[in-house]
Amino acid sequence: MNIPPHPWWTIVALLLGAVAFGFTPLALAWLWARVFSPQKPGADKNATYECGLESKGDAWIQFGASYYLYAIVFLVFDVEAVFLLPFAVAFSSLPAGACIAMLVFLLLLVEGLVWACQKGVLTWA
Amino acid sequence: MTALPTAEDLKAQIEAGVPGAMVTIVPNGSPSAQDSLLLDHEHARAVALFLRDHPDLRLDFCSLVTGVDWLDTELTEKVKVKKLAAGPDGVETEQEVEETRKTKVPGYLEAVYHLFSMEKKHGPPSLPVVLRLRTANRSDRNHVPSLTSVWRSCEFQEREAFDLYGIVFDGHPDLRRILMWEGFEDHPMRKDYVPPADDILLEARP
Amino acid sequence: MADDLKDLKLELSKNGIFTTTLEELYNWGRRNSVWPLTFGLACCAIEMIATTMARYDLARFGAEVFRPSPRQADLIIVSGTVTKKMAPQVVRLYNQMPEPKYVIAMGACAISGGPFRDGYNVLKGIDRYIPVDVHIPGCPPRPEALIHAFMTLQKKIEEQALRGESRPRHLNADLPSEFPVPEFGAHGLEPAQNDEVFLNETGNPLRIIQ
Repeated sequence: MNIPPHPWWTIVALLLGAVAFGFTPLALAWLWARVFSPQKPGADKNATYECGLESKGDAWIQFGASYYLYAIVFLVFDVEAVFLLPFAVAFSSLPAGACIAMLVFLLLLVEGLVWACQKGVLTWA
Repeated sequence: MTALPTAEDLKAQIEAGVPGAMVTIVPNGSPSAQDSLLLDHEHARAVALFLRDHPDLRLDFCSLVTGVDWLDTELTEKVKVKKLAAGPDGVETEQEVEETRKTKVPGYLEAVYHLFSMEKKHGPPSLPVVLRLRTANRSDRNHVPSLTSVWRSCEFQEREAFDLYGIVFDGHPDLRRILMWEGFEDHPMRKDYVPPADDILLEARP
Repeated sequence: MADDLKDLKLELSKNGIFTTTLEELYNWGRRNSVWPLTFGLACCAIEMIATTMARYDLARFGAEVFRPSPRQADLIIVSGTVTKKMAPQVVRLYNQMPEPKYVIAMGACAISGGPFRDGYNVLKGIDRYIPVDVHIPGCPPRPEALIHAFMTLQKKIEEQALRGESRPRHLNADLPSEFPVPEFGAHGLEPAQNDEVFLNETGNPLRIIQ
C-alpha cells in the first residue's frame, strides 16, 4: 500500500513551522523570566498608575452627559474638515452635481451646529 | 489717560469718601518714590471698595499681593535723665546723667497690594497704587482683613502670603496652604525660618 | 580562564569565526533597547526632548521609545528640579517600574538640589531615595552630555555579570524592587533620606551632621 501524502500536508507543516518561529522566542523569554528572574510584586508596584500619585476613590463614577455633546460638536467640525479637504483638492474637475451634494452635506452639519447652539451646548458652565 | 493721583491726594480722597478711615502714608525714600498707603483694619474693605468703584480712580485690578516680614527690633537711644548722685564731695545733688535705654519694638507682618486700573489704562510702567495692611505682631495677633471679596485676583496670592508668611486673612473664602503641603507647620519666607537639618554636611558613617 | 576565553575569541575572530557568550548576547540585547519613561520635571526636560529629536537622535542608541507608562519603561531620567512636593511621586513612579530598571539623574538639581539647594522646597538630590546609576552635572546639561550618560549606562549594563554578587537587580531575589516613599512631615520630608540607598563611594550610608 502506497498512499501518496495529501498535498495539504506541506502547507500544514509550513504553518506549524511559521507558528513555532514566532512563538519560540516568546516562550524562551517567558521561560527565562520564570526561571531566572524572581517576581517582586509590591503594594506600590501593583498600585493603579496615576502619574505617581496615589489613586483616590473609584473609577466607576458618573461623568456629566454634557461631555457627550461636546464630543458631538467636535465631530461636526472634524468630519467637515476631513471631507472638505479632498473636495477642495478635486474641486476644479467636479461636476455641478458633486458641488450640490457637498453643499447639502455642509448644510446638514451646520444644521447640527445650529441645533447644538440652540440647545445651549456652547455656553460654558 | 490721566496720571494717578499722588499718595497725599489719595489719602485726602479716601478720608473724604470713607468716613472714619485712618490712612497713613508710608513714604518710600528710594528714587522711585513709591509711597504707599497704610490702612486700618476696620475700614480696609470699605477703602478698597471706594478705590475700586470711584469713577475717577477705578482701580479695578489687583496685580500683586505679597507679604513682608518685619522682625522684632531693639531701639537703642541715649536719654538724659536727672538723678540724685553723690558728687566728689559726698553730697548728693541732682545731676544730669546720660543713659542708654533699650526698648523692644515688636515686629509685624505686612500684606502689600499693588493696584492698577484696567478701565483707565493705568498699568506698568507707571507706578501702582500700593496698599499695606499690618498685623499687630508676628505670633498670635497675625490677622488682617481679606480683600478677596473686592478683587478676585487676590484669592490665590493671599493664600500664598498665608502659606509662606503666616498672615491670616479674615474673610478669605478658602484659606489653605497653596504651595506647601497640608500639615506643614512652618512659614518658610519668614526671616527667622530655619530649614530642617537635611543638608548641612554629609559624612560617612563610621 | 576569562583571559583565555578572550584570547580564544580574538584568535577565532581573526580567522573569521564569530563567537559570543549567552551573557554577552543577553546584555547586548538589554543595553540596546533601554526604554526611558516620558518624564520631565523642569528645564532639563527640554534638553532631554532635544536629545530625542532628529538633531541628536537618541534613537541611535535604541532609546527612542519613550514610554508614557512606568510599566513599560526601563529607565527613568530625572530631568530637573525635584521639589519636596514632587519627590514622593518620583519615588512612586520608580517603584512602579518593572525590573530591570535604571536611573539617570540629569542636571545639577536632580543630583544635589543645584542652585535651589538652600531653598525650603527643593530636594537635595534624588539619590537620597532611589539608587541612581548615572549622574550628569550641568545646568542644564547639553544633549551630548545626556548621550554620554546614556552610553555610560549602556556600558554599565554591558559589564553586568549575570551571576555572582554583582548580578543585576532583576536576577537577584534579595534586592528590593520598591523603595520607601517619603512622607510629608511637619517641617520637611520624612525620612530625610533612605539609608539603604544614600551611600558614599565606599558603600557606607551617608549621615547628616549638624
